[in-house]
Amino acid sequence: MAESRDVLVTATRHVVNEQSLRPGTPGRNRLRTQESRFAWLMISPSLLVLLLVGTVPLAALVIMSFTRIDLASTRPNAFIGADNFIRMARDDRFWHALWVMLVYTVSSVTLQLVIGLALALALLRPVRGQGALRVAILLPMILAPVVVGLAWRTLILTPDYGIIDFAVQALGFGSQPWLTDARWALISVITIHTWQWTPFAFLVFTATLHALPQEPFEAAMIDGAGAWQRFRDLTLPLLWPTIIVIVIMRTMIALRAFDAIFSATGGGPGTATEILNLYAYRVSFTSLTLGYGAAVATMLLIVTAVISVMLFRLQARD
Amino acid sequence: MTPTRTNRKRAGNALTYILLLGAILIWAFPVLWVVLTSIKPRTDIFTNPPTLVFLPTLDHYEAALNTRGIIDSIRNSLIITVVSTVFAIVVAVPAAYAFARLRFRFKTHLSFYTLFMQMAPPIGLLIPYFFALNRIRLLDTYVGLIVIYLSFTLPFSIWIMITYFLDVPKELEEAAAVDGASRFSAFLRIVVPQVRGGIAVTAIFAFINAWNEFLYAVVLTGPETQTVTVAIFGFLGASESRWGPFTATGTMIMAPVVVVALIAQKQIVRGLSLGGVKG
Repeated sequence: MAESRDVLVTATRHVVNEQSLRPGTPGRNRLRTQESRFAWLMISPSLLVLLLVGTVPLAALVIMSFTRIDLASTRPNAFIGADNFIRMARDDRFWHALWVMLVYTVSSVTLQLVIGLALALALLRPVRGQGALRVAILLPMILAPVVVGLAWRTLILTPDYGIIDFAVQALGFGSQPWLTDARWALISVITIHTWQWTPFAFLVFTATLHALPQEPFEAAMIDGAGAWQRFRDLTLPLLWPTIIVIVIMRTMIALRAFDAIFSATGGGPGTATEILNLYAYRVSFTSLTLGYGAAVATMLLIVTAVISVMLFRLQARD
Repeated sequence: MTPTRTNRKRAGNALTYILLLGAILIWAFPVLWVVLTSIKPRTDIFTNPPTLVFLPTLDHYEAALNTRGIIDSIRNSLIITVVSTVFAIVVAVPAAYAFARLRFRFKTHLSFYTLFMQMAPPIGLLIPYFFALNRIRLLDTYVGLIVIYLSFTLPFSIWIMITYFLDVPKELEEAAAVDGASRFSAFLRIVVPQVRGGIAVTAIFAFINAWNEFLYAVVLTGPETQTVTVAIFGFLGASESRWGPFTATGTMIMAPVVVVALIAQKQIVRGLSLGGVKG
């Protein structure tokens, strides 16, 4: 895992650092032109597709955010300037969705880091049966989030018949409204996301821990440093770059979460688990007010961009 | 070693094993429980305490496949997934080669452009897409969904293929150039066979992502092209909860992905670390 992360880093560096088209002898230049022409031939199909399925829709989204497109009414489509954004500023449900998205993202990414690291440290010693764990933890990450979300909603969290509700009852705490009480529902969807993605943090941490140099730890042991001290002064600083990479990748995924929440709670009860993605979905495809939906999605795009720039800055500083 | 130290070591080992077992249980259990429920007789599904001993049955699979639209939805999922995967690979492999090996202007900008396209929020693409497809009457068609699936399969395929091309020794192409082969035929005959494994892994990831996809499918498909991740909701309506057929269909959705995970475990981990799954 750490090795493959390095592969990505090398890939990026390779693509970035190579000086393109330095001046050379005439013969060389001709070769370079040939090479360049060939390269453009090779990438143009991809560029064309990306332009068509990525850039054009995003540009259209921004344009749509300044329009009124209301498919459920007979009113004609019209440019309405910043009206959608003014409406959004006064829309409590929008602010609530933004807040839920931030709570969901921050808490699930934090939990993934803490549990993933703790588990990686605890299971660092090679014991038999780790192969089984490696297979087991792959499952939540690659299986359809819709099936995962529906399975949690039914087999796991249904009062009386769900396995967790049964276990909690057996322990004497009584049945809980896991998905029908506002606070429990938010805890439940955060738990589902954490369950799904903690394996990722665990895998990356395990690989990084195995690759750490041994000498500083041996020296600290000889100096009589305790386990906690070694963790705080050696392990944690050495893991810092890894932690940032995990935070970046997991935040990006948490910000685009949709399937699992949609299938587990549908954003409910009420709007208790309605993250911004879900709100944009409902505005656009339940109410069919596409213009306002586009404005909400544009806001989401901006929030995502700001957060990723902040995180990448943090990474670049190290 | 003193007895107390041995004892402590043993206790530590026992703790590690308990933790390992607990972790396996936590992550494998929900999935196993879906599979188990799918082969439970109807009377054993809704019990408190949960039943662990029962006579396995395939009734729910029969019921699921006999439900209107389920077989069609599996066929739709397969068609859409396979076509968009193949298309993504065919387009991505040459581009990845160019990014990994060739020098050309704006290379850096263009590579970051592909990376950025991978991060765009899906709902942001979906809204204009829906509007456009609605206008040109392409809602509920294969083409509409296949094209939008390229927005996530293509950028990722390019990036993962770059890493595989970087592993190929440069000497091979140079040897081909000496032989007087044209650039493209050298690429096709010499380089591509070297990255066969990488292409397979890339295809696996494109397949998994497209197969699991839900948000685009639920909005852009209709009765004709509904995929299985959308159709499965039919078993869990407001009025009825058919856990048997639901888990049977869920198992059928998960099966191909689980098989792939067991075969290509190492490669999957590599792909995951490159951001291969949308989640």
